[in-house]
Amino acid sequence: MCRVDQERRGQWLRGVLDLCVLALLARRESYGYELAQSLNAAGVGPIQGGTLYPVLLRLQRTGLVSAQWREGTTGPARKYYRITVAGGETLRQTTADWATFSGGVGAILREVSTR
Amino acid sequence: MNHGQSVNHEGWLAALAGELRRHGVDRDLAGHVVAEAATHLRDSGEAPLRVFGPPETYAAAVADSVGAAEPRVYRGAPGPVRLEARGITKRYRRHRVLTGVDLTVRAGEIAAVVGANGSGKSTFLRICAGLASPDRGQVRVHGTVGYCPQSGGTSDFLVPEEHFVLVGAGRGLHRDTARSAGRRQAAGLDWDPTGPTQARHLSGGTRQKLNLVLAGLGDPDVLLLDEPYQGFDRGTYLDFWHQLWDWRAAGKAIVVVTHLLNQLDRVDTVLDLSPVRQPVG
Repeated sequence: MCRVDQERRGQWLRGVLDLCVLALLARRESYGYELAQSLNAAGVGPIQGGTLYPVLLRLQRTGLVSAQWREGTTGPARKYYRITVAGGETLRQTTADWATFSGGVGAILREVSTR
Repeated sequence: MNHGQSVNHEGWLAALAGELRRHGVDRDLAGHVVAEAATHLRDSGEAPLRVFGPPETYAAAVADSVGAAEPRVYRGAPGPVRLEARGITKRYRRHRVLTGVDLTVRAGEIAAVVGANGSGKSTFLRICAGLASPDRGQVRVHGTVGYCPQSGGTSDFLVPEEHFVLVGAGRGLHRDTARSAGRRQAAGLDWDPTGPTQARHLSGGTRQKLNLVLAGLGDPDVLLLDEPYQGFDRGTYLDFWHQLWDWRAAGKAIVVVTHLLNQLDRVDTVLDLSPVRQPVG
């Protein structure tokens, strides 16, 4: 991917990264590195820690996720994040908003690709 | 991960801890952020600069996302004149060091004194402090003065806290008050001054931290600082400037001798003592 595309992708991501993180945490609790890998695997990444952790901190501060240091089943202690009830509600609402918005964008762009 | 990488991480993580503190991130939270970054680096095996970027950038992003207080570069309106130097002239034998130098510093202002080696920066500061007298000219100081020399100024066989008590006594501070004031200021420079190390065994940088703390003891109105950051690492150097901004916000008048020009946009007055080149006649 060329540099301009990377920048554009970064801009898109800024708008939806917190949403993606909430959605991943709605599946199950997780920690930063694992979230980064999941985002990567989903084709949304790569997400660097410098971008991801500030988002997690903001979600934690606004009460949409809670966090706890804990020993995992393997390896050392990690900071595990879990979605809260408020986070679940925000996720549902914002997902609906996003569907409308991205549907609109998709409709416009489809005209270009079929022209 | 090899050993070299892990050493590299330690340096980056330590720098991050310092930057988080400077950005006003709460101590506990900063500890979590550093620990989480360390865990991530260990898991990913990648270089910290690649994953998180420079420590100051990442710390700023963290501070922003947790709504930490802005870095304390507060700039209030200047107050009354605290230091007035008029027409200061000084010769050493036939060599003229200072010629008709003027400087006015108000409460809540920082004046930087710059100039080449030998341009009389330290001499000027010593005259302002009353430690040397000018051949001509006058210095008026309205308030109390704290002076931090470029070197020396500490007593070889005393430990830091004995310095606090001794210098504090000279400024009318009770022992305990002096000790706690010294510790508080030292903490701002990321230095723990408690302990049995005599001044002669402190590193050059730590001795200068001690000098700087001593200059600020007793809350003087005017601070005269002669390149007090020699031997400071980068983090301490930044702490030093934050200390100056705090002092300025608290209404101190500050004169700082410096040859490093990268902070000059953050001071209020620059006095350049570089000799004016006379046309050859």
